[in-house]
Amino acid sequence: MKQLHEQDVVTEREIPRARLGAIGWLVLALVVVAVAAWEWKMRDLGLVAGDLGDGKSAWAVERRKIASGDHDGVVIVGGSRILFDTNLDVWAEMTGRRPVQLALPGMSGQQFLRDLAVNSRFDGFVLIDVTPEQFFRVGRGHPAFEGVLDYWEDEGPAKRTGHHIGRFLSRYLAFLDNQYSLTELIDQLEIRNRGKIPGPFLRPWKLSENYEDRQYHLWREIETNESLREHAIRVWLGRGLGPPDEALIARICADVRGSVAMIRARGGDVVFIRPPSSGGYYEREQQNTPRDRTWDRMLREADVLGIHFEDYPDMQGFELPELSHLTREDAVRFTRAYVGVLREWYVGLRPPPVLEPAG
Amino acid sequence: MVFNSLTFLVFFAVVLVLHRLPFPWTAKKFNLLVASYVFYAAWNPPFILLLWGSTIVDWYIARGIYASRDKCRAVRRSWLVISVAVNLGFIGFFKYGEFLLQNWQALMASFGITWVPPAWDIVLPVGISFYTFVTMSYTLDVYLGRSKPIPKFLDYALFVTYFPHLVAGPIVRPTQLVPQFQVPRQATRDQMLWGLGLLILGLFQKVVIADGGLASAADAVFGASGPVGFADAWLGTLAFSGQIFCDFAGYSTAAVGASLCLGFALPDNFRMPYAAIGFSDFWRRWHISLSTWLRDYLYVPLGGNRGSEARTYVNLMLTMLLGGLWHGASWTFVVWGGLHGLYLSVERWVRSRTGVAGDPAGAWNRLALALLTYALVNITWVFFRATTFDGAARVLAGMFGFAPDADPVLPTIYMIKVAAITASILVVQWLMRNVTLEEVVSRMPWWLTGAVAAAMLFAVIIAQGAGEAFIYFQF
Repeated sequence: MKQLHEQDVVTEREIPRARLGAIGWLVLALVVVAVAAWEWKMRDLGLVAGDLGDGKSAWAVERRKIASGDHDGVVIVGGSRILFDTNLDVWAEMTGRRPVQLALPGMSGQQFLRDLAVNSRFDGFVLIDVTPEQFFRVGRGHPAFEGVLDYWEDEGPAKRTGHHIGRFLSRYLAFLDNQYSLTELIDQLEIRNRGKIPGPFLRPWKLSENYEDRQYHLWREIETNESLREHAIRVWLGRGLGPPDEALIARICADVRGSVAMIRARGGDVVFIRPPSSGGYYEREQQNTPRDRTWDRMLREADVLGIHFEDYPDMQGFELPELSHLTREDAVRFTRAYVGVLREWYVGLRPPPVLEPAG
Repeated sequence: MVFNSLTFLVFFAVVLVLHRLPFPWTAKKFNLLVASYVFYAAWNPPFILLLWGSTIVDWYIARGIYASRDKCRAVRRSWLVISVAVNLGFIGFFKYGEFLLQNWQALMASFGITWVPPAWDIVLPVGISFYTFVTMSYTLDVYLGRSKPIPKFLDYALFVTYFPHLVAGPIVRPTQLVPQFQVPRQATRDQMLWGLGLLILGLFQKVVIADGGLASAADAVFGASGPVGFADAWLGTLAFSGQIFCDFAGYSTAAVGASLCLGFALPDNFRMPYAAIGFSDFWRRWHISLSTWLRDYLYVPLGGNRGSEARTYVNLMLTMLLGGLWHGASWTFVVWGGLHGLYLSVERWVRSRTGVAGDPAGAWNRLALALLTYALVNITWVFFRATTFDGAARVLAGMFGFAPDADPVLPTIYMIKVAAITASILVVQWLMRNVTLEEVVSRMPWWLTGAVAAAMLFAVIIAQGAGEAFIYFQF
């Protein structure tokens, strides 16, 4: 046989002449101590074991419930407000049905409504959240969820398994929180930037705790830690989004109308909901996306029912620590209020497509 | 499956336990083969069929070539043509199909013919370029008389599929790995510990440095829609330069470590490439298994440097252009390869005219030439990272000072991270230019090695990588 190249030999790897056993024990000891200290520090900062986090894999688990028919005929889509402001246990208690939570932070529900209409045979009840500045906007949404509408179907076994292992570990380790990773903590340092670059400091930080079935709760620290609360408010108010133009509003209304029609044709229905906001955030929404230009027009053009928090006395008086999301206690009250309205409507206005008749 | 995932940790623990149980050697190899298929299928199960196809075709063809060794050359050559056609057919369809259609469309358009290609919704199988080269090297070696067919199918299938190198190399040769499968091997305690150390180092490079430290800056600059200023353009490019090194060298290091834990040796794929003095030195240090593959199966068969001087330059350029195309179906990759071919040609020309061989005398001269090499390599990375020529032109314009009024792109924290990490990479690589990691660890106090390894592992744990795929998986 010809011997033509230097690589044409069996390689034996060199092993360092060092006390590898002692090094191994030292590494083990140092890492155990460091991780324990880190866990203690993270708990001190307010992270909790059992907070499962959220991500594309968690969303994909829920979306696959729709594809497989493993659901109670109720789906919630939209942005972060309906995630934080809905208590799934209260829903289940009041209706006997547990919604599939498909809302995503920073996203408009419009494209997800279309996904349900076009890419599924879903024939149940859809509740869709309207956070006006997100809904009447074209954008990619939260980068962590980019491409999620394709991801859920394409997710391979390795990712699915990794998701379950991660959830298992998160039940015991508080520090496993991707919003408190080393990279995030470094990027969150407040350092002055050139020009008008917002930088990672002015991205939203951790706001939620996440549990089974993507149940979101406002993170306790947002209620109690003034600097975190002020940071969140600074982020929300610093987003200088102008009003959407008429053509965009018309296009979104038309798209919604089409999606609603497709779901209704299968026997399902869609209801819109506008959860509360407050302070400067609410004022900017009033200015940029006034109700008559956006919400009222969409309900009219799509011929759908909608629950606007301004219209109901028992949806008033909430304290929103960072102007946009309800505390977990208020989420219970808000859920009771709007599910109560839904139950009345679907008894009084039309045959209930999925909800049980009252009485 | 990626090394930087919880799934891999569980998978690897199971594989290690199975490999250390007192099974017969054949059963252990069978376990490794099944584990390797699980490793590959965990990404997208149906694509395992391609891997099987490539494996089986080359198994039979290599035997056919060997059986006809005493017959006329045309018979052997026709066997080889079938192998090359099947392997390049797979890779051509999945990797270059859309690229070919787009170029055909452009060619037709240049003749005034409007033709719209069908929508191309084909997923690129992970690692197809790597395992295709592995199986081809086997058949080519048999054809060229460098080795005999592997007697046992199990050894051959394991050589092709062995999970540490399967999806992103190192691109192994039969003679490197197959003899190791033929006799029972078990990692010693020191091999196991050193393997775990390399695994930690590889994950640190990938999770902490590439993904956590540099990716955001590179993404911001190469994703910018407008002009990019001088500082942003350079820092974005340096960020990518560090990212691709730490990503790919991290994978290779982790692969070597994982394999060593099982008792098998894989070759080095990187040797401090950013300390290279000149481009032939760079390619002896960067993606070594690919550069030697291209040398042995493309450059040398083309004639190498055995013909005229002009022919040597043509061979060099052809090899690097095809090497560029191997990385991706885009003309930007071809330009990347072309630039490297040009650099190598210029260096060869200068050396032949000046008679200078090897490194120049004087530490400062060597340092200056190393920095010049690094700067020129960074120019090539612009074409590697940019997805379009417009994007590449935008960044290059910034790097050469043609966009003085561009708005800033990078937040200060990204600039600090890129500067600190780049400086660290360069210093470490320069200091370790002529020594191996094993030699350095042999000289260090044991407690210092332990402290450094612990710090790296701790950083990996708290960085909580999101299981981002390695960049080279797409190649």
